[in-house]
Amino acid sequence: MILPRFDVLVPQTVPEACAMLAKHADEGVRILAGGTDLLVDLRRPIVAQHVPRCDGCPTHPEGKVVSTIECLPSDSDPLMAPGGSLRAALEDPRHASPAYLVSLHKLKELKGIERLADGKLRVGALTTITEIERSPEVRQNWTALADGAADLGSPLVRNRGTLGGNIANARPAADTAVPTIALDGELTLHGTSGTRTVAAKDFPRGPGLSVIKPDEILTSVHFPSPLPHSDSAYYKLANRKALEISTVGVAVWLALEESNGPVKDVRVALGAVGPTPILAESVREVLEGKVPDEKMIKQAAKAAVGDARPIDDHRGAAWYRVQMVELLTARLLTTVLERIRGK
Amino acid sequence: MKRIVSLTVNGVAHEVAVEPRRTLIDLLREDLGLTGTKKGCSIGDCGACTVLMDGVATFSCLTLAIQADGCEIETVEGLAENGQLNRLQQAFVDHGAIQCGFCTPGMLMVTTELLRNNPRPEEEDIRRAISGNLCRCTGYQKIVEAIQHAAKEQI
Ligand SMILES: Cc1cc2nc3c(=O)[nH]c(=O)nc-3n(C[C@H](O)[C@H](O)[C@H](O)COP(=O)(O)OP(=O)(O)OC[C@H]3O[C@@H](n4cnc5c(N)ncnc54)[C@H](O)[C@@H]3O)c2cc1C
Ligand code: FES
Ligand code: FES
Repeated sequence: MILPRFDVLVPQTVPEACAMLAKHADEGVRILAGGTDLLVDLRRPIVAQHVPRCDGCPTHPEGKVVSTIECLPSDSDPLMAPGGSLRAALEDPRHASPAYLVSLHKLKELKGIERLADGKLRVGALTTITEIERSPEVRQNWTALADGAADLGSPLVRNRGTLGGNIANARPAADTAVPTIALDGELTLHGTSGTRTVAAKDFPRGPGLSVIKPDEILTSVHFPSPLPHSDSAYYKLANRKALEISTVGVAVWLALEESNGPVKDVRVALGAVGPTPILAESVREVLEGKVPDEKMIKQAAKAAVGDARPIDDHRGAAWYRVQMVELLTARLLTTVLERIRGK
Repeated sequence: MKRIVSLTVNGVAHEVAVEPRRTLIDLLREDLGLTGTKKGCSIGDCGACTVLMDGVATFSCLTLAIQADGCEIETVEGLAENGQLNRLQQAFVDHGAIQCGFCTPGMLMVTTELLRNNPRPEEEDIRRAISGNLCRCTGYQKIVEAIQHAAKEQI
């Protein structure tokens, strides 16, 4: 199966890459990392009947990119208004068949996992999912991320796919993006006019849509230093153990004041139950400051359901997803709580 | 405009002029005539096209030839030693792990990576390692047995 015609640009530095993106914006240009999303998507116009892999993957019988309307931010969102930048990006044929790909593979500085002096973890955007899965540091202190990496696709997908690609692709079910939100990851974006940071929860705007600007590259993700008496976990609910997109994914991060003490902070992120991964803020309202028990955890799980906005699709019905959000949130909160108390 | 890609395949250095959209599998099969690597789905689902790229099991259908510039590629053609099937290949033959054989090159390459990183895999490790490689014929059991046997022999 052949790819459409495009040229490939190979920058040696990040600023050079940003300049290439800016220069060719009018002709259509996309960033290439591992290619496990992009090179599949670019074949889609050629094999129009190719089944979409993710909820809300924007496809069209003729391979045109269209919006899955019910999943998108509403028209009252300025970005989605006629002429708004998200709508324009979505409807732009240059997005589906770009003239240029900017391949990041020579940018070694975007690779690798590093514990910083202040205790934070820096993961370069080009770090592969396999490297994350195998990192003892990530497994130990940012467990939900290790769980998500271990469950993504298959070994071959993990060997090529990158953290940056999984996040930048902005799919609601993305298996490392959901834990990144629960772990309060901070994304660093480089553009022609400088650098900015965005909280992972504020990055996605709809299926395949994000706040990234056309000349920007996601360069790294920073995870906060682990708090004492904290732990995290992610669970991917799917029909098979490999090569499956989740029906529901739940990531939980919990921190207590002390081993048997009240909740200092909690973050629950939900995947595949809305147009983007969702931070279930209501869980914090239920648990913060309280010593959690079984009843309270059940209440928190119910609250998480209120934040989910699932749709029916071939992976699961909305009513089923709702039940699974409740069940998995309760189960993960319990697991993580037991782990913290057992430490 | 074509680009020159320099890469080593099974120890032999090559320079190949490719269209930017050329995938690694097409470079191997069409430009170098190494048709041992198979193309099943072209979208990352089947693993038939697996090669090792700098030692890492890689689907060559979702890798551009340009991305393999400067890399060392190993394909199924490089496994035999002195014209003889290597231990892993022989185990596949002996254990009935090959029926139509279409998945075999990919299975052999992911397993080669597995045994280099983990010479004593548990059954669970083996099943996980081949979980991105589809086989329509064997039902996987014979493949797992062949790999277990090869792992035992290599120690
Ligand atoms: C068979 C198969 C199974 C899969 N299973 C799963 C699964 O179970 N769970 C899951 O979450 N995903 C899955 N995926 C999707 C994919 O593998 C992941 O999303 C992967 O992490 C993408 O990374 P990549 O480097 O390959 O991205 P690419 O394909 O290179 O890029 C993806 C998108 O992000 C943009 N991009 C990439 N890097 C950057 C950057 N640094 N800055 C800005 N933009 C960037 C690209 O322009 C493109 O739009 C699967 C894919 C395949 C082919
Ligand atoms: S042909 Fe590459 S994974 Fe199927
Ligand atoms: S032997 Fe036929 S596909 Fe595996």
